[in-house]
Amino acid sequence: MLNRRKFLQQSVLTAGSVSLSLPVIARELEDLSEVNRLTILHTNDTHSRIDPFPMDGTRNQGLGGVAARSQLINQIRKEGDQVLLLDAGDIFQGTPYFNLYKGEPEIKAMSEMQYDATTIGNHDFDAGLENLANQLTRHATFPMLVCNYNFSQTPMEYQYEPYKIFKKGKLKVGVLGVGIEMKGLIADNLIEKAVYSDPVRAANETAYFLKKQKDCDLVICLSHLGFQYKEDKISDERLAQESENIDLIIGGHTHTFFDAPLRYNNKQQKEVIVNQVGFGGIVLGRLDFEFSKFSKRQLVNSTSIKIISK
Amino acid sequence: MKGRIFILILGAAVFQLSCSSSYQTQSIQFSNNRIYASGTVNEALQKKMLPYADSVNKSMNEIVGICYKTLDKKQPESTLGNFIADAMLFGAKEKYQITIEAAFVNYGGVRIAQMADGPITKGKIFELMPFDNLIIVQKIKGDVLQQFLDLIASKGGWPLAGISMGIKNKKAVAVKINGELLDPNLYYSIANSDYVANGGDNAEMLRTIPQLSKGYLLRDAIFDYIKTFQQLGKPIVAVEEKRIVYVE
Repeated sequence: MLNRRKFLQQSVLTAGSVSLSLPVIARELEDLSEVNRLTILHTNDTHSRIDPFPMDGTRNQGLGGVAARSQLINQIRKEGDQVLLLDAGDIFQGTPYFNLYKGEPEIKAMSEMQYDATTIGNHDFDAGLENLANQLTRHATFPMLVCNYNFSQTPMEYQYEPYKIFKKGKLKVGVLGVGIEMKGLIADNLIEKAVYSDPVRAANETAYFLKKQKDCDLVICLSHLGFQYKEDKISDERLAQESENIDLIIGGHTHTFFDAPLRYNNKQQKEVIVNQVGFGGIVLGRLDFEFSKFSKRQLVNSTSIKIISK
Repeated sequence: MKGRIFILILGAAVFQLSCSSSYQTQSIQFSNNRIYASGTVNEALQKKMLPYADSVNKSMNEIVGICYKTLDKKQPESTLGNFIADAMLFGAKEKYQITIEAAFVNYGGVRIAQMADGPITKGKIFELMPFDNLIIVQKIKGDVLQQFLDLIASKGGWPLAGISMGIKNKKAVAVKINGELLDPNLYYSIANSDYVANGGDNAEMLRTIPQLSKGYLLRDAIFDYIKTFQQLGKPIVAVEEKRIVYVE
């Protein structure tokens, strides 16, 4: 968008007339026929699983490990499409690495893999918010996104953002994060003065801002709410249905292995895709989005998104 | 003046352009890729992790016991759950030297799905119970215990020792402690992690009840429990014995 604006500015300035915006129209038409691709890679609940699951006969033996994950990510990057690498929280806790190093190797490995963003999981509180803030300050090259927690009275004050906008080729992608209700799940002394607010409301407000005011082509919500519950509790399934302006929810917390991404209709009867890939870095989620450029009029009557197994 | 009109026209043109079209998703190809450690790995990253791995291995590879048969985690009852709840009740009794009727572990607090048969490393116990949770003993009245057991029932059953119960309509029924039916007016001493005793996992009813603590980690209770098997020269065995069943 920036380039086109500059181009427009230049043509108008040199000619001093509006009639010369013809080349711009030509360019617009050209854009309409072009397809843009974006590869979204994602993990959730990696839980300090630096090494693969050991070969001890249990069902996940030989799976996962940061070195193998990194290799796969690098291979995908080499394919040449734009890549966004995301995580849905609970990076911490689960192996002795965390007991000994409080998250340092986990965050270092993620930075090495060039993660673009994560959100916060309940176990990321486990060694205290000061520890989390320190690990992020020292070792993270990516932001922690959450729009329904207020950390302003805690050590995390300067270590989180509600959203981030990524330019990926011609696409503008807005990513936001939502966290689960802390009370009753996280010990009071670990919550400190962090404040939780309604994730649906916070997500919708942030997504509206990203889609309508920042003109994002795609809005992604990183969620640690959990996929679904038997009891009356907010989940990704409900968030999807009650949301507006969110296109994709990358979920976590319930350690659910999806066979395929699920689709829901949101409040505007538009499709929202939800995916989650278990836990422990056993699976790397991959969603290859294909975009076409449309006029806004066509957008309203668009048909259902095709979801194809690769 | 001339300049201002100019900016206006320019502004209008940009506005029209940015609003006239947008990218829209046409299709999504998905593949949730399993990551196999047997394939190629990023050796540079592997190398960066090595100093951490070395010291983790050094302190965590010690064999602490032998597991006779693979233990599984599931609801409402499981072998792995019974093992950890038994360890907790055993450890609490040893440490407090008082009568303790029952011990509980929240289901989400059991952090591995399976413990394989064969040698158990120290690191495996850290994976099973990574939290530095303390064992807390609380003396609670039978009616409050019933509320706590209803919570456990509503959550599909937690590992427990010293109690048997049924789950019916998300409530605990036919609760037996030491073979006797639960009496709402009697007091019972129960062991929980500090996380649960402080109201964690929605155990709000326990939050205000006075706590006894000896600074004893649940994980250490598991190590101590395993030691007793080792001293007897026996492998660890845990069985399902209908501590929690669904009744209709």
